[in-house]
Amino acid sequence: MVTKFFLPRILTALGVIFGVVCVVFLLLHLVPGDPVEVMLGESAQPADREALRQALGLDQPIHLQLLSYFKGLAQLDLGTSLYSRRPISEILLERLPATIELGLASLILALTLAIPLGVIAAIKKETAWDFGAMGFALFGVSIPNFWMGPMLILVGALWLGWFPVSGREGMGSIVLPAITLGTAMAAILSRMIRSTLLEVLTEDFIRTARSKGLTEWTVTFRHGLRNALLPVITLLGLQLGALLSGAVITETVFSWPGIGSLVVEAIHRRDYPVVQAAVLLISFSYVMVNLFTDLVYAWVDPRVRLSK
Amino acid sequence: MFHFSIIPLLHQVQIDFKIMIRFAMALGALLLFPLLISCTDPPTNVIRFGLATAPTNLDPRFATDATSDRVNRLLYERLVDFNDAFEPIPALANWEQVSPTHFRFHLTPNRATFHDGTPLTAQDVKATYNFILNADNASPHRSALAMIDHLTIHDELTIDFHLNRPDSLFPSFLTIGILPAQLIQAQHPFHSKPVGSGTFSFVAWPDDTRLELVRLADKQTFEFIKVQEPTVRALKLLAGEIDMLQNDVPPELVTYLAKDPRLRIQRKPGTNFSYVGLSLEDEHTKQLLVRQAMAHAIDRESIIQYVLGGAARPAQSLLPPDHWAGAHNLKSYEHNPEKSRSLLAQAGYHAQAPLRLTYKTSSDPFRVRLATILQYQLAQVGIEVDLRSYDWGTFYGDIKAGRFQMYTLSWVGVKTPDIFQYVFHSHAIPPNGANRGRFHSDQADLLIDQAGTTQDLREKKHLYQELQAYIAEALPYVPLWYEDHVFMAQQNIEGFTIAKDGNFDGLKNVHRTSPSMAL
Amino acid sequence: MMFRLGIPLGIILLWASLAVLGQFLPLSPNSIELSKILLPGNAQEWLGFDDLGRPIFDRLIVGARTSFFVAFSVVTVSLIVGSLLGTISAYVGGWTDLAFVRVIDIFLAFPGILLAIALAGVMGPGIDNVVIALSIVGWVGYARLARAQVLSVKERDHVHAAVAIGTRPIRIMMRHLLPLISAPLIVEASFGIAGVVIGEAGLSFLGLGVQAPEASWGSMIRDGTRYMLVAPHMVIAPGLALMFVVLAINLLGDWLRDWLDVKGHGRRE
Repeated sequence: MVTKFFLPRILTALGVIFGVVCVVFLLLHLVPGDPVEVMLGESAQPADREALRQALGLDQPIHLQLLSYFKGLAQLDLGTSLYSRRPISEILLERLPATIELGLASLILALTLAIPLGVIAAIKKETAWDFGAMGFALFGVSIPNFWMGPMLILVGALWLGWFPVSGREGMGSIVLPAITLGTAMAAILSRMIRSTLLEVLTEDFIRTARSKGLTEWTVTFRHGLRNALLPVITLLGLQLGALLSGAVITETVFSWPGIGSLVVEAIHRRDYPVVQAAVLLISFSYVMVNLFTDLVYAWVDPRVRLSK
Repeated sequence: MFHFSIIPLLHQVQIDFKIMIRFAMALGALLLFPLLISCTDPPTNVIRFGLATAPTNLDPRFATDATSDRVNRLLYERLVDFNDAFEPIPALANWEQVSPTHFRFHLTPNRATFHDGTPLTAQDVKATYNFILNADNASPHRSALAMIDHLTIHDELTIDFHLNRPDSLFPSFLTIGILPAQLIQAQHPFHSKPVGSGTFSFVAWPDDTRLELVRLADKQTFEFIKVQEPTVRALKLLAGEIDMLQNDVPPELVTYLAKDPRLRIQRKPGTNFSYVGLSLEDEHTKQLLVRQAMAHAIDRESIIQYVLGGAARPAQSLLPPDHWAGAHNLKSYEHNPEKSRSLLAQAGYHAQAPLRLTYKTSSDPFRVRLATILQYQLAQVGIEVDLRSYDWGTFYGDIKAGRFQMYTLSWVGVKTPDIFQYVFHSHAIPPNGANRGRFHSDQADLLIDQAGTTQDLREKKHLYQELQAYIAEALPYVPLWYEDHVFMAQQNIEGFTIAKDGNFDGLKNVHRTSPSMAL
Repeated sequence: MMFRLGIPLGIILLWASLAVLGQFLPLSPNSIELSKILLPGNAQEWLGFDDLGRPIFDRLIVGARTSFFVAFSVVTVSLIVGSLLGTISAYVGGWTDLAFVRVIDIFLAFPGILLAIALAGVMGPGIDNVVIALSIVGWVGYARLARAQVLSVKERDHVHAAVAIGTRPIRIMMRHLLPLISAPLIVEASFGIAGVVIGEAGLSFLGLGVQAPEASWGSMIRDGTRYMLVAPHMVIAPGLALMFVVLAINLLGDWLRDWLDVKGHGRRE
């Protein structure tokens, strides 16, 4: 029963990851630009170039390169950076804590904002409260983080001097990037919480609960919000995607030394293996989190399992 | 039923939201706290140097970028150095020329030992150069040292370099840091754990953004902090988070920083040569009239005044006049749109059939800004320029392969006049050199060969000056300017002298006069 | 009504007309005056000058054209390709459909515009490459939506009837399926425009979009961030323009969704 539900999902996720690796590898290898020339520079002799090309395995046909890339992946070997010549897994591990830290901080901020806003908008549907909360949400989705970030720097760091401009040092430095990333997410989440809560509140069991004479508080929170939060968990998993791609830009704006800014740096340096590994890591964690929320959802709500 | 209950609900919900928010904040604080306290404030006895780009490789046998090179100069000692006129002077060793193809180097007696305590001997010199000369090691510096035939150790302190052709400037090329032979043998990872005999030794390199070195004489710690964005670098200097900066700050920001009484600004004329490179095989740009028209169309004075904040000298040649082989009174092309237009008309271009060029540049924002200005100035005389900016790798690859009509680039760190052979000789077409524009001139070749082979330094200098006068006429490059070096620091940071080529050797004498004010 | 429809519609019409008619206005977006570098606004030139002494107002209007052109190219291409593939896949069914779902899954495994960033980075800057990169990412959403919609309507009686009288599959798809599923696709596309406007500006912000001296709001913001300390006017104007356009499209999308009575949230992101 359990394996019947979980196993296909896990297998599908693995298949998707396999496909993702192939797509990224092929896309990045079929474009113009020769990494060897970038590495050796002008004075290199043709023989030196050939030697390096061989050392990097770039002289092999592409399907063999892909095969050896998979072999490396199986041993968690992601190759070597063309730019710094360090193992990529080492670079990613170095950058990962910063991204996780920023992601967690933004997530907490987003939930702190979104749950009250969504609930209040649903309960006070079509009042000034609802209007205000949804107005905030609309602004939140409409302000791109590459503008919000600089604006926060301008006001919070340059004019007021409360927070560091960028980088990751000291307590204050996480505040501005977390606000940038968190508010956009809060905006989307609060809209979704509102609409799911509105749907739930019209369902039969709520009416039953109310007719039993339970207080509005109990009805809304015990029965309403709890049931509304279930779809929100899934949405949260999907939102991680927005969080991760938002991190690429936000980290660049704030020079936050995470995986996102690594992607952009590596693109500008034509450091393909690093771009490839970072994109894979981000997609991998995205797939994994969604698989996880899927499974958690099914575990929490048996109806999902049965309907399968 | 629903809206009857709204009023009591309102009351309850408000109270509970407060609790909810408090709870969420507490949860947030709890989760963030361990992360936050792990980032401790830097200690104040450290002197912090802000960099635009981090060093990438602390192994002088492989490092090619300017920052790595400058940091490696602090960590390692080399045989030969340069004075301000770029004449070679002894560093680790004095030398004598035994024969045209044989140089003997005597290690100086008061040299430092390696940081691991072993003395630096002729063995180490030999091991370092042999490693580079070995083709299997694929060192990017090998081809520049191709004139070395072999090395022999004369005694512990004396080493002989035997050349395969005479070269009276040979000592100028021995600027690579010396590594301990034992560790070379043991394949020590110098690129991340450097061991040299320089005045600084390696402490830590926790990540790409932070490198820590200690000055051996007084145990003063220095931190090299990469801060990519110029604005942020400037702000960190203002906030006292870093103590000093050199270069790579837009002139507008330098002006802004100069107004702050807590900071000091020093400048020194530099030698990095910016130029417009042109293809001499392209049907348009191979015409001298076209190149002259372009030279007259560019308003270098305005760009220097408004965009570079006055911090540059107009250039007439690749070598600045204060180089020992530099030339004075070279032909210069003043900004003259009228003349430019008439030159273009002579070459057969007019409004109906304008000159159209593709201009490649790197995607560095300041380079794109300059390129956009040049594009506009050329448009004013009727040259339509299509600007393409590429990431450094693609851009540089295209330039080397000769896939361009027009580009801008700088020569950085040029020290020896053999650069003319490398850049303008017809034998130096890539991959044999950097004659990327495919300049073919018998006269230039002759002068380059003569200047290269003559062993008399006065004669050499004269020939190089003659060559530069010829090149200024033939105009394979449109010369732009030499950018100044700008050093910005807290008032309490003293003792830094700016190097002509922008290296960091000034850090050897830097000290803090009063305790750090910030943090 | 004024707020939900009038103002957004006004902003979008202004955006569209500036984009289309901007080339007939006497603008000099690329005219460089070195002596005016970073000058703030004055009575004639409200918005001031950028880091090359170019008028920001003029560049803002040219930037409107860039974002409009990219948004409509990408959404048109994605909408047509995505809904066609999705419709065909759902209609044909079987192994084709199964394989198609896998392909969609793989594309959806790249969060947000990450794949577009990587693609644009690899293809090099240029507005054409931006359109290509955003379209490669964009079609998937429409494909998924179209497929789901067709699956839900293809068992309807009139479709069965059409099959029974031997109507050609292409005609069935065009005549009987697409009209039924067009409302949610239109809502999705209207939100899609907002997404692409932000996407283009984001790529240009990262230096992967337009080439100098062309103007995009994203590249203007990017240039502006470098001079925030001395010339904050450079970063404020393009950001406000971008925000108002995106806000207007989102409001209009919301209105459209309610008006067409489309269930669910047409929004991804």
